[in-house]
Amino acid sequence: MAQLFAGLKVLEFGGGAAGPLGTRYFADHGATVVRVESKQRPDFIRLLRYTPGAEGGLDASHMFAMVNVNKYGIALNMSHPKGTEIARRLVRWADVVAENFAPKAMAKWGLDYQSLTAIKPDLVMISTCLNGQTGPDRNYPGFGGQGSALSGFNHLTGWPDREPLGPYGTITDSLSPRFVALLVASALLRRRRTGKGQYIDLSQVEGGVVCLSENILTYTATGEMLGRLGNRSRHAAPHGAFRCAAKGEDDDRWVTIAVHDDTDWERYRRALGDPAWAADARFATTAARLANVDELERQVEAWTRQRSAEEAMSTLQAAGIDAGVVANFEDLNQDPQLAHRRHFREVEHRVIGKHLAEMLAMRFAQTPGEIRMPAPCLGEHSEYVYRELLGMSADEYGALQADGVFS
Amino acid sequence: MQTASGNLDGYRILDLTTEPGFLAGKLLAELGADVIKIEPPGGDPARRRGPFVGGATDPERSVLWLALNTSKRGITLDLDHRRGREVFLALCRHADAVIESAGPGDATSLIARGLGYETLRAVNPKLVVCSISPFGQNGPYSRYRGSDITAVAMGGNMYPTGNPDRAPVRCSLPVAYYHGGIEAAVAVVFALWGRETTGEGQLVDVSLQEAMLMPNMTSPAQFPLTGFKGGRIGGGFRGGRAAFRELWPSADGYVSFALRGGPARIPGIIALVKYMDENGMAPDCLKNRDWPAYNHNLITQPEVNEIEAALGAFFRSKTTSELFAAACERNLMLAPANTARETRASRQLAAREFFVELDDPSRGITLTYAGAFAKSDVGGVGMRAPAPRLGEHNAVVYNALGLDAAALAAEGAI
Repeated sequence: MAQLFAGLKVLEFGGGAAGPLGTRYFADHGATVVRVESKQRPDFIRLLRYTPGAEGGLDASHMFAMVNVNKYGIALNMSHPKGTEIARRLVRWADVVAENFAPKAMAKWGLDYQSLTAIKPDLVMISTCLNGQTGPDRNYPGFGGQGSALSGFNHLTGWPDREPLGPYGTITDSLSPRFVALLVASALLRRRRTGKGQYIDLSQVEGGVVCLSENILTYTATGEMLGRLGNRSRHAAPHGAFRCAAKGEDDDRWVTIAVHDDTDWERYRRALGDPAWAADARFATTAARLANVDELERQVEAWTRQRSAEEAMSTLQAAGIDAGVVANFEDLNQDPQLAHRRHFREVEHRVIGKHLAEMLAMRFAQTPGEIRMPAPCLGEHSEYVYRELLGMSADEYGALQADGVFS
Repeated sequence: MQTASGNLDGYRILDLTTEPGFLAGKLLAELGADVIKIEPPGGDPARRRGPFVGGATDPERSVLWLALNTSKRGITLDLDHRRGREVFLALCRHADAVIESAGPGDATSLIARGLGYETLRAVNPKLVVCSISPFGQNGPYSRYRGSDITAVAMGGNMYPTGNPDRAPVRCSLPVAYYHGGIEAAVAVVFALWGRETTGEGQLVDVSLQEAMLMPNMTSPAQFPLTGFKGGRIGGGFRGGRAAFRELWPSADGYVSFALRGGPARIPGIIALVKYMDENGMAPDCLKNRDWPAYNHNLITQPEVNEIEAALGAFFRSKTTSELFAAACERNLMLAPANTARETRASRQLAAREFFVELDDPSRGITLTYAGAFAKSDVGGVGMRAPAPRLGEHNAVVYNALGLDAAALAAEGAI
């Protein structure tokens, strides 16, 4: 079966992760995604080099290569007087424009949605920035770290007696791409039905706050402000990460255990061989376990400390208990389930050579997403896109290139 | 409340999910799809989870239920009852998609109930079936159980989160369900798009574990190169040679700010140094540094420590709102670690009319919700109705199928 989005044309402006990971959903499923970049204003993740001094310049960022597989890359100097005219020709070619600049950028170039619909009436366009395109703080220049803080994830992550922590990585940068994919794909369905395009304004903070709807409604409906619980739950105990035996030199090994109800508790006791402590009335019901959670967690950890995280997981899972290794990045590379799903794929990049790229979390039975090509070097596909996709003559292409438009 | 037509108007989606999948159906419903939440006759377990609006235990007033099932219709149906299964298949005949969130090892999953994809396809080849599960439908861990904490841990996002002297830690609300829920909504819409070409639905398999890889921002794929396994450094991040702080106490709360480099961020650092200097709090290590050339992968830990000592003293001297006002005015990349109260009070969210007050006359309450997850110039994104009461739409849904809801109830099927 053909790929889901074979024939779809997506034009992308911007950089980082929140926008480009969103268009990757379409690229993995067959769309032609063209990234517009420039040497004057390179995507900042092209600069996040693991080895900043090494060769390869803007083409040697592994993070860029991992985020942008399956895309074409062209260079276009938007500061050049002819740059915006070429951009408008690209828009005429495209079905979808996705951008994640700060709100002023596209309008400054005359590439705001209203201007673009004059040349492409059924355009689907999405803009995503931290705070959205309107409002007093629209130009506030934040990244995922600030998105996580503003949405409320940081306040909710950590220990009750300690300061908040950011969840590792940047959480709104991995929620937003999924929102981008959802909004654009649904807009395409509507366009198919009605013939009309639309403009979508995704605020990464608002997307995060909608995910945390329970946090907001708890406050507005009951007055209670949720806070940091460590790993505990208000509804289940034990519920946490417990230290396991060292693995060689590595004494930072942990397993999660979540006993959700009293049926689980019976299974858990049996899996441990019915130890005497677990028969105590202080642990007999969820309410009792929550009331005696400190002592309970000590007992749970006394058991996990005697075995590897992997053994603790498999013993408990065999008994039907929710448990899992707290995987580090090395563990993920050896995880048999991720291997089964072929989560990591090897890609050959023109400058950095072989590297891994990660797949999305969804698997379609009929139309599997694939990695068909590595991420583009800066301007790698300029000639192909301008000549073949836009139909520029060799003379025009050569003249514009000599004029510095494609840099 | 949203009344304009949405991108998914005309699509009908049967939502069999429990908490791990609530968000998927909510998002689809808030794009206009007719999402029908199917609960067992006793009600979804979330209805029994507190806190409850008004305090007293009431299955119609669970905050969790109310927050994440907005805009859906609701029916009851016993899938273990012979007649109930027939009714489910009849519903599938008139639906575009089904979403479930019980894994293949769970007795309540479609596959365990003998209602797997092939069975549903036989009654409706156009049906899209999206199964959310902890680890995926196949593979060595596919029958493992895994709630949020285990999915976050097995996805690698927990190990590097936390303080070095304590256990790895998760967010206290279930982020694996959020990542996986949006992913599932994407999966449904993508498969509906594919159906436009092929005329056929398909099965889509969403793994919560795998959904938690993306938040690690390529660190897992970089491991063979870097050998970096992750590690807990409190509220901060690690550069090439040093660890950096990212969350700081202000005079009355916490703010996020980090010494990350790159052309988009360095102007914010320079602006902060100027702001500190105006307050007489910028020592030479800040003022004399060549910030335009700054690279957080090259700076050493002693240099970071000296700079961070000055930043820490400055942030503690101002309130969170003073700092955030300055951040908006001066383009500093600094943001408050908002509580729900602070988010609710945000002037930006107020200006965008983000929060939605919704009357819920049948429950006799009016609540304020987090609103639309995006804005479209043609409208149609956002909340349609409060979460359904148990069996609220039984009569209208079953009668539209030509069935008698009262008779089904008498049979024990719903």
